[in-house]
Amino acid sequence: MTGPLAGVRVLDFTWVGAGSLTTKLLADHGADVLKIESSVHIDSLRLNPPFAGGVRGPNRSGYFAERNSNKRSVCLNLREAQGQALARRLAADCDIVANNFRPGVMERFGLGYEDIRQIRPDVIYLAMSMQGSAGPEREYLGYGLTIGALVGLQHLTGLPDRYPVGTGTNYPDHVPNPCHAAFAVLAALRHRRRTGEGQCIDIAQTEPTIATIGTTVLDYTVNGVVREREGNGHPQWAPHGLYRCAGDDRWIAIAVRSDAEWLALADVLGLDAERYARNRHEHAAELDELVQRGTSGRDAVDLAARLQQRGVAAGPVQNSADLVDTDPQLAHRGHWVSLRHPEMGTSRYGMPPFRLSATPGELRTAAPVLGAHTREVLTEVLGMGETELDTLDAAGVLR
Amino acid sequence: MSAPALAGLRVVDLAGDVGNYCGKLFADLGADVVLVEPPGGCPQRTAEPTVASGPAAGTALAFVYQNTNKRSVVVDVDNDADLRLLHDMVAAADLVIDNWAPGELALRGLDRDAMTAVNPGLVVTSITPFGQTGPYARYQSADIVLLAMGGMLSLAGYGDGPPTRPYGDQSYVMAGLFGAVAAMMAVLHAEQTGVGQSVDVSVHECVTLALETAIQYYDLEGVIRGRQTGRYRHAGSGLYDCADGYVYLFVGGVASNRFWGRLVDWLVESGVPEAAVLHEPVWEDLDHLRTEEAKATFERLFTTMSAGRSKADLYHDAQAHGIPLSPVNSPADLVHSKQLRAREFFVQADDMYRAGYLTPGAPYQLSATPWTLRTSAPALGEHTEQVRAALREHVTGGAR
Repeated sequence: MTGPLAGVRVLDFTWVGAGSLTTKLLADHGADVLKIESSVHIDSLRLNPPFAGGVRGPNRSGYFAERNSNKRSVCLNLREAQGQALARRLAADCDIVANNFRPGVMERFGLGYEDIRQIRPDVIYLAMSMQGSAGPEREYLGYGLTIGALVGLQHLTGLPDRYPVGTGTNYPDHVPNPCHAAFAVLAALRHRRRTGEGQCIDIAQTEPTIATIGTTVLDYTVNGVVREREGNGHPQWAPHGLYRCAGDDRWIAIAVRSDAEWLALADVLGLDAERYARNRHEHAAELDELVQRGTSGRDAVDLAARLQQRGVAAGPVQNSADLVDTDPQLAHRGHWVSLRHPEMGTSRYGMPPFRLSATPGELRTAAPVLGAHTREVLTEVLGMGETELDTLDAAGVLR
Repeated sequence: MSAPALAGLRVVDLAGDVGNYCGKLFADLGADVVLVEPPGGCPQRTAEPTVASGPAAGTALAFVYQNTNKRSVVVDVDNDADLRLLHDMVAAADLVIDNWAPGELALRGLDRDAMTAVNPGLVVTSITPFGQTGPYARYQSADIVLLAMGGMLSLAGYGDGPPTRPYGDQSYVMAGLFGAVAAMMAVLHAEQTGVGQSVDVSVHECVTLALETAIQYYDLEGVIRGRQTGRYRHAGSGLYDCADGYVYLFVGGVASNRFWGRLVDWLVESGVPEAAVLHEPVWEDLDHLRTEEAKATFERLFTTMSAGRSKADLYHDAQAHGIPLSPVNSPADLVHSKQLRAREFFVQADDMYRAGYLTPGAPYQLSATPWTLRTSAPALGEHTEQVRAALREHVTGGAR
């Protein structure tokens, strides 16, 4: 394997959202990620749509596939003592051990930080439960959507006179949590390379998302102001918003940040530039109506291109089909990659959103079929033989 | 006590609003991050909202937040002596975080070849709206434009109204985060091999990583996901009214099926006996949960219970029953959260921005090399002379 993390091995107990995306970042850059799974307690994403061809099956979910490229799937039944023992033996050969269970689950399996440290003293151990390993709410459950609500992002997102609509997705799972977690792991890896010392990283999946809206916390603690929803307005710029265009549910985003941009916008849309030459922000609502009238009936893509030619920040709201089929910038960057999967056939994956010139990330293999690499990994890493594997299999340890 | 995880790492942070958070991540784990600002200061020093009163009134809260543990140097790139200082800083650095427009570094004599010649191990991480090359590389942008073009706004907002922008310039946050991960990988590689590289981060591309299943729905089933219609993703998942606001409940679907039975038991136990009907097998089927009829039936039963109770009460009671439900909190609620207090997430700062205020602390707890708040966001040019002097020493030391 190549990539900046070639030679790094990860024992990956994460599942569902944020955890799987964290280890994907490592896998896409050359780490050997061994995803420990079980048909006894299956990753719920494997059972959730969309499915290849709309046909259900634990190896057909796109929801699961996207988050598990480049990983190897090893089935171990951790409810069995022998399964736990195999996991511990694998840990001895791993640089990083990751999980996103509730606190105490890994300890019950004999796979807590202290257990692993006995076997692998310099391990980097990542625990990313919803609430962290300590505190009165440490046992509380959640997903990205409930985290977005709990930490204030939902409260802050939407129109001021309507309910807080939020992002419509499990956003904390997609970027704030996996990126913070991966950064912490990489920093710990640097520390270990320099000192030989491993460590335990404890993440509460609430805290990285609060870090993304830290300014609102300061508004309260410094100014005593509780921020509310601002819709699509901007604290300084106007016009700034999303305006309906021709077609079914087609919109354009426009942000006017300077007088020059305003003059250009007014010219393209045929608005009275002079009338709003100053104090545009005070007249934001009025301007929104004017701009809306100007964009109605126009093609969003075409209008955005015209505005860009005039130096105005504008772009169409693109949906999934637009991104995949027509976005020339994503095509230029080679963002979409097709990978073959034994059950799903060929499907599309997105590259990491950055390019390293010397050691680029790479999408090598599609998400694994459940347990596809169990025997391969146990043979390669633990040197087990066929007979031994057959015995374990028969005892229900490898499912 | 170990040295910080990023001890000894020298970072030059040219970042403006896009990518400023990237430098903070490095600084807060112990790297020496120097923010390079133009005369008069970087634009994000004055962005709204600002500190309302006191000696630092008018300073952007985002600047205060995103520049902890950094030093500030003023560089006027049109002044030869200043430009030389910047060249010397880059020559001595491990990492440059760049969000100047594509080609601008080269215009100032800092193209890749020139930098590699004097500093072969240098990592330059460029975070720009659309990346260094391509048809949109020169496009103008703002957060709302990038969220739109990256697809996130096709999913966010009211089904019967406009898409809505998630709060807090999230496209910039995402780019800062992905940029930090990428930069850290390149730094690890450079420290092992002595070979630096360029990292090209596109904010627009970063946004496409936050579309949940939208791409896969289109690719695998030919379905274009749009904004959610109404307040519920499906029955049992969405925003429900309570006495003092809203709670977010997430049961059924991706959330494990075992939560459904607990939820129904909880409703029955909480004085809604007719909720027992939700135990029928049809409620295990996601397709049924997605029907308007199922959403309405569930809403009626759930709000019978929730209408008279507070979000905090519902949160603790639901969680005691093992049900994933959260209150819709405001930033003020966070500061008073017992859980966050117990974890000491907020840390006290006491500086020119205000006496004794709380600020968000460690987003991760590293046992050997913890996150620390050493210094508050710097005053403009506070460290220009200090950095100049250190570089002189560095240059003289090298020549000896």
